Amino acid sequence: MMHEVRILLVEDDPSDVQLTMHALHRNNLANDIQVVRDGEEALDFLFCRGNFAGRAWDHPPRMVLLDLKLPKVNGLEVLREIKSDPRTKTIPVIVMTGSREDQDLARCYELGVNSYIQKPMDFNQFVEIVKQLGYYWLVVNQSPPAPAHPSS
Amino acid sequence: MGSFDPAESDEGRAALEDPQRALLNILEDFSAEKTQLVVGQRALLNILEDFEVEKGRLESTGRAMLNLLEDSSSETARLEAAQHAVLNILEDLVQEKVSLEAAERAVVNILEDSSEERARLETTQRAVLNILEDFDEARTNIQMVNQQLAKEVEERKRAERQIQRVNAELVVANQELEAFTYSVAHDLRAPLRHIDGFCRILLEEYASTFADESRPHLQRIAQSSKRMGQLVDDLLKLARVGRQDLSWHLTGLNALVQEVVAELRSECEGRQIDWRVGELPSVACDPGLMKQVFANLLSNALKFTRPRERAVIEVGTLAHSSELVLYVRDNGVGFDMKYADKLFAVFQRLHRQEEFEGTGVGLATAHRIVRRHGGRIWAEAEVGKGATFYFTLGDPHKEEDTR
Repeated sequence: MMHEVRILLVEDDPSDVQLTMHALHRNNLANDIQVVRDGEEALDFLFCRGNFAGRAWDHPPRMVLLDLKLPKVNGLEVLREIKSDPRTKTIPVIVMTGSREDQDLARCYELGVNSYIQKPMDFNQFVEIVKQLGYYWLVVNQSPPAPAHPSS
Repeated sequence: MGSFDPAESDEGRAALEDPQRALLNILEDFSAEKTQLVVGQRALLNILEDFEVEKGRLESTGRAMLNLLEDSSSETARLEAAQHAVLNILEDLVQEKVSLEAAERAVVNILEDSSEERARLETTQRAVLNILEDFDEARTNIQMVNQQLAKEVEERKRAERQIQRVNAELVVANQELEAFTYSVAHDLRAPLRHIDGFCRILLEEYASTFADESRPHLQRIAQSSKRMGQLVDDLLKLARVGRQDLSWHLTGLNALVQEVVAELRSECEGRQIDWRVGELPSVACDPGLMKQVFANLLSNALKFTRPRERAVIEVGTLAHSSELVLYVRDNGVGFDMKYADKLFAVFQRLHRQEEFEGTGVGLATAHRIVRRHGGRIWAEAEVGKGATFYFTLGDPHKEEDTR
């Protein structure tokens, strides 16, 4: 029986995983985190399939931290899958990426991203951003109601 | 007398009878002579008579002649009259001739006129022919020009195809460049971020486990990675200026400058800054890029006035200029004008890093933005007395393609 996952971190770079985990730790947000290392794994988790077939639909993560440059299925495709399926489209997705390309920014918002953040060069700033994100999406923001039992 | 009678020759008788006969002869001769005289007289008389007749005849002839003369004088009169008449007739004839001549002249005139008319008609006809010829020539010319045009169109099409081919190559090159930029942005930034992150963690969470001397080294690592990150970011900004299309909008520069000043507030903390922003116009420009120009120039002004107790930063327009010249002036440390040409080159700096931090990309970026707007940028400065940066903006229709 898996515990409830509040944050899904989709990140392939181990250094970034470590630094993000560190920033979450510092802000006491490191519990209930699921880390996946590519887009396919992210979709498996969210759609309760593959290695995550046993996961319950009625407990979606409270937020998804999504990198854009991912192996197999890239971040934009993951975002499109999440936002085009009624079972997942209400899940808040925060794109956290190393670059700030105008076309990515525009595309993400077209696809319905909830927030777009460029990882700052300064680690302390990054820690601060992670703190604000956690506070906002997990405390301040009211999550959508849990989805009804999926029909498919 | 002289007549010879043969009986006289009988000599005998001749002697007796001789004197009588002689006398008789003489008498006889006399009578002959007398007859002869009478005859002569008669002839004379006859002649006289004839004379008389002749005289009468002459007289009548003279009379007749006189008559004739008389007659001839009347005849003369008649002749004169006739002559008059003839003269009259002749005069009439002359007049007739004059009028005939006039008529002839008139006819000639008419004929002349008609010939003139004909000449005129011929001229007109010739002109028409000329025009037609000209038309023909013009048509030929037009055909030639058309052929030329067709050729040019063909050449142009060929050139266009070439341009399209080159364009396609450029698009590919651009895509590659974009991919490269993206990879620089994403891939190069990430390791730098990691270095900084792990250095911070070491410094802040494992400080006690390090020897004191090792801490400055760790700090240097963090600083260097941050600086490199800054360089990468600035270079990306510069690359983006060249890549993106300008989006021209009428932009109020005062509002734009106020925005920039507001964003620079954090850099002004604890400093006395006298902002003097004059009346600025609204201009056609790319607002985002124009904001970057002001951001670069104003943050430079802030940076280089740092040693001043009271910084004065002025933004305005040159009053007496045929074109719009904007300027940003400060009372900072200035620079030596002999380095002015290096000012706008990438990575060129006129100050040591420990004096004034920077990457040497800011002014190069401003330069590129101004140039892409079709304008110019230049600076005037004096060491210790401050610097003024001037720039103009070109015509939105003459955007210079200097990407």
